Amino acid sequence: MILDLHSHSIKSDDGRAKVKNYCQWIRKRDIGIDGFVLSEHRQFDNDSDYSPLAEEFGLTILKASEVETEYGHILVYGVTPALQQAFDFTRTDLRLADVVNACEDHGALPIPAHPGRPKVGMGAHIATHGVPEGIRIVETYNGGSRGNENDQALSLAAEQGYLGIGGSDAHIVSHIGRCATRFDGPVSSDAELLEALKAGAFEAIELETE
Amino acid sequence: MAESQMDDIEGARQRFLNHPFESKSFEVVADKLAQYAAACGETHPRYTDPSHEDFQATPTWCSCLTPNRLIPKDFPKFEGFSLDGGKDVQPLAPIRPGAVLTGESMVHDIYTKTGRSGRMIFIVSRMELTDQDGTKVAVADTRIVIREDPKKDGAGK
Repeated sequence: MILDLHSHSIKSDDGRAKVKNYCQWIRKRDIGIDGFVLSEHRQFDNDSDYSPLAEEFGLTILKASEVETEYGHILVYGVTPALQQAFDFTRTDLRLADVVNACEDHGALPIPAHPGRPKVGMGAHIATHGVPEGIRIVETYNGGSRGNENDQALSLAAEQGYLGIGGSDAHIVSHIGRCATRFDGPVSSDAELLEALKAGAFEAIELETE
Repeated sequence: MAESQMDDIEGARQRFLNHPFESKSFEVVADKLAQYAAACGETHPRYTDPSHEDFQATPTWCSCLTPNRLIPKDFPKFEGFSLDGGKDVQPLAPIRPGAVLTGESMVHDIYTKTGRSGRMIFIVSRMELTDQDGTKVAVADTRIVIREDPKKDGAGK
């Protein structure tokens, strides 16, 4: 089971892709993923029901969030209404410790996105703030990375003993599936995704999508 | 990151959001509507031919109506590079020649995001357009993006 764990639709202010167009592209170009996770910026999409699209295209479509902290951007899986009350997803100055604690309290999982990226990657802030507590997984393959940013992420993961996930960070249709995560077993719901991530039975992969 | 780093944004939001600060009138002239439609590549006579029975402005026409100011005079100055972040128009009713529109301007939203270049501040300037009969015909948003100076202490962290 291969899922792209990091993507954005037009629900994000900088997203230019409709979810249906992601689905069409995946099928038309035979992109080698079984589904994707929409991790909209600074919000959780409570409103959209993508189950008809998932059924129509035979894809798994799940939801998460990407929030902003002093350590950069953090993907949050397992978002619940209670977690959304625990901190303000819209803020760009969240404390990672608060996000980690809230996730622990509510059964969610925080995963730093593109940790090798300047400014908004965790690695850029360790020298200033130290190695954060409560992180076990980072995004080692990000489809929007430039230069050696993914190598930096892999190095960080190796140094700290983090597991790695992959996601395209797609904002436009043609970028979906550039990076993804292979799971040992099936993942068909947000709860199963959370369980699989917590179990650690996965690997980050890069895909040839052009 | 200190909690205070967003105090500037929170303060501006509390002080300015959705408080009208300017009202300006616009006369709707048939030739101007047709010229705008042609410039956009529109071909339907409803938008390009003033003699058409249903002649009206194209849905995005009011994006070319500009207030005297996009933000209030006393709006805080955020240091950085300003960029045009684009425009959105919500058409609510047909706009036809002869109408006199009143555009009421306000700051609709102020928010931030962080990226490779640091913090960016988004200011959404909104103009609500009402015709002479009091019908709201459109809402036009203009986004201003301010990319903070990366050298500024604390910017973008």
